[in-house]
Amino acid sequence: MLIVFCGVGALGSTAVTLTRNLDATLRLVDFDRVESKNLASQAYVKQSVGKNKAQALKLQLANFYGVSAEAFAVRLTEHNTQELLGGGGLLVDCFDNAASRNLVSAFARQHQVPCVHAAIAADGTCGLVRWDDQFVADAEDEPGQATCEGGEHLPMIGLVASVLARTIQEFVRDGRRWNSFLTPSGVVRT
Amino acid sequence: MAILNITYDGMSVDYTRPIDERLTDADVRRIAVEVIRSGELRGLHVAGLTESAFTHYVVDRLRTAGGGMHIYLRPKVPFGGR
Repeated sequence: MLIVFCGVGALGSTAVTLTRNLDATLRLVDFDRVESKNLASQAYVKQSVGKNKAQALKLQLANFYGVSAEAFAVRLTEHNTQELLGGGGLLVDCFDNAASRNLVSAFARQHQVPCVHAAIAADGTCGLVRWDDQFVADAEDEPGQATCEGGEHLPMIGLVASVLARTIQEFVRDGRRWNSFLTPSGVVRT
Repeated sequence: MAILNITYDGMSVDYTRPIDERLTDADVRRIAVEVIRSGELRGLHVAGLTESAFTHYVVDRLRTAGGGMHIYLRPKVPFGGR
């Protein structure tokens, strides 16, 4: 199975490292570059600073774990969804903006590809893992609104990413689709 | 009827009294303010909670496996509760 990770920032990069044991091909899509500040909250190491995130994570998977992956260092747009998402047996949306999330959802619905979304609140108070039929991307209150960037909520990032990885694992194993709602005090399957 | 779950300041609590599932989002936000102020939610009591505390929160309405409804009032992801 080809699993396409859309966005490999805090949640995406952590979830990818936790799914490295799956019998699947991992495709990583992200146009962004690793910055020093990302080291506190994302699965990148100091040597990756300055590199594209998708390519850096591909290198880390190969160098640290001997796992191969595909990397696409481009921004997902309406013009390249087929190239980036096509052939995927599972789409994993870890983007941090509604426009990109909606592109992934639209492709998944049009092509009937399973799609799971993960998101975390910037203040670390909650997160969710939801399959596409139950998911609506939250809109910004204003353009450029801050998201979760620092390492202040790293344990919560780890919690959401691990629930996402488990959700992916169960889907790959037997097709089960669990939705989860997470707070610092626990995880509820919804 | 529906079960209301409120997530605020890192706490997530179910309101023990069922609420009408046809309530508007504005009603859900108003009820949340009232029950948190009153101390009806175990572990989540803020007497001075402002009327606008949940203005930027999202109301999710999810059907449960048993056919009931769970209404979640939660911060936006990835933006938080402001």
